Amino acid sequence: MMDAIDRGAGFNRPSGARSLIALRGVSRIHDGGAIAALKNVDLQIREGDCVAVVGASGSGKSSLINILCGIDYPTSGHVIWEGRPIRKKRDWVWLRRLRIGIVFQEFNLIPTLTALENVELALLGRGMPAKHRYTRAGMVLGRVGLDHRPHHLVTRLSGGERQRVAIARAIVNEPKLLLADEPTGNLDSASAARVADLLFDLREMTGMTLVLVTHDDALATRCTRQVRLRDGSIVEDTLRTLTSGTIGSRSRI
Amino acid sequence: MNLVSLAFRNLKRRPIRACLSVLGIGLAVGSALALVALSHGIAQSARDGMGELGDDLVVMQKGASDIFGGFIPEKTIERIAAVDGVVRVSGELVAFAPTGSGNSVLTLGWPDASYLWRKVPLREGRVAVAGERHVAVLGDTAAASLGKKLGDELDLFGEAFRVIGVARYTTAINRGLVLVPLVDLQEASYRPRQVTMAHVTVEHADARLELARVREEIEDLGNIVTATADEVLDHDRNFALLEAVSFAVAVIAVAISALNVLAALAMATQERTREIGIFAAVGWSNGRIMKSIVIEGMMMCIIGCALGVLLSVAAAYAFPRVPTIGNLVSLNPSIGLVAPVIGAAFALCVVGALLPAWRAVRMIPAEALRRM
Repeated sequence: MMDAIDRGAGFNRPSGARSLIALRGVSRIHDGGAIAALKNVDLQIREGDCVAVVGASGSGKSSLINILCGIDYPTSGHVIWEGRPIRKKRDWVWLRRLRIGIVFQEFNLIPTLTALENVELALLGRGMPAKHRYTRAGMVLGRVGLDHRPHHLVTRLSGGERQRVAIARAIVNEPKLLLADEPTGNLDSASAARVADLLFDLREMTGMTLVLVTHDDALATRCTRQVRLRDGSIVEDTLRTLTSGTIGSRSRI
Repeated sequence: MNLVSLAFRNLKRRPIRACLSVLGIGLAVGSALALVALSHGIAQSARDGMGELGDDLVVMQKGASDIFGGFIPEKTIERIAAVDGVVRVSGELVAFAPTGSGNSVLTLGWPDASYLWRKVPLREGRVAVAGERHVAVLGDTAAASLGKKLGDELDLFGEAFRVIGVARYTTAINRGLVLVPLVDLQEASYRPRQVTMAHVTVEHADARLELARVREEIEDLGNIVTATADEVLDHDRNFALLEAVSFAVAVIAVAISALNVLAALAMATQERTREIGIFAAVGWSNGRIMKSIVIEGMMMCIIGCALGVLLSVAAAYAFPRVPTIGNLVSLNPSIGLVAPVIGAAFALCVVGALLPAWRAVRMIPAEALRRM
């Protein structure tokens, strides 16, 4: 497998890597047909990919990410995980519990819980003993640099710290796929830079696949692949090198 | 952290609403318990009262709607006495007699020669002697609630009765009795030569076959029916109605407690729609999300039921001290009464919690996350 890695100009994605998740002809129609958030989208994400999903507001980025993690369902088309179509709701529950982590722009933390407890939430569904949950949540909080504030209510944390708690919650189950929907959108530039560094460092350390929705060009260019959406369709799907710019593009139109 | 501590925190987030909901459940369960215990207490007091008089059989008019509603002629008493195996028999007229102060007291009229007079457990004074008229023996709580002592005069049906004794029965209903000569009560209540029932002592009452034979022979006298102390209220329409009404009101009260849970949780889940979306987003199954909501409902129900039991115990302590109630009944919310009420409250509360929980998990998580 290592032989198949395309190392041209610093591009670090294994070209023969397995498909992790794919969309096949996915459309998402809202309000009884009035709004088409996604139109017949085909997309394949391979293990180890680092994908930036970009596009203007209303282009369908969030709809795409919601469907990739199964918190929304396609009106037509299929989502395929590791070669198998996902049809049942319980399959999505299993994937979100063990294989897919999600980070939201709005953090989506439970305000009455502490940082540690918010991370523990993601472990509650696994039948893990309370002591192990506590230890593991604490350890992951340490990885995101919040080991000094585990017992603070999340409402008392800064925006950057809250997003780090959300990242800790998303990675506590060691997912294969981390989806981040505008993870820096609600942060000041300093915090945004720290959160972005954290996401890329974590990806580097774990090798997990990262799909990032962003408006931030600087953030997008740190990804090895950019998928551009316009009016619910993919208009550009570009592999980038980290050092010398675009090495190829596959327009879906 | 676990689902229980999570539910507890959710309750703590809205302490006033949680407290009001719990109070609502407590009041509903407490009233249901008090009602069921009260109706049960009235019937049980009547049975215990009959049992305390110590007779094997009670004879009443056939088809009488209740123990006060039937009358049998006095001469039937003599015919019952002649039945083989009957040791002794006494007629008894029962009436709620107005006392002139706006209250009524349960009054029994016994014949001069009745053996029932000899069985009165006197605390003080004496019982009526043959031929004595317009005298009364009062149960101790009747004497206390009427404020009468030996030698005082008591107004019954507008006629004056002199208090000659105070009895010390043990059952609540007998402690509230007024005992007078039969002929006086017959005249005062316009029931000449009539009795409400006859008390019968049977020679071999322990022998089932013998007792059945005696009952059959008595009933063959025509238009009368026999019953043991336990059976005497079985066909009493008043008690049946009382129990039915109490049961219906208790069911409504318990249903109200379930509605309390439903309303509280429906509001809580509505407000926490986004949180439910978060639970789904981090991989909680529908079952786990529902469980977390139902646990919250169960916690309210547990605290509410405990409060309800405490209230019913307080009522059991307080009710006998209210003269108009305490003279007639003893309220005893036993395990046998508490368990079905609490069980029903729990079952209904689970249903009340399941509905908002079910609605919550039907939402698409992405939509739930969009809610504020």
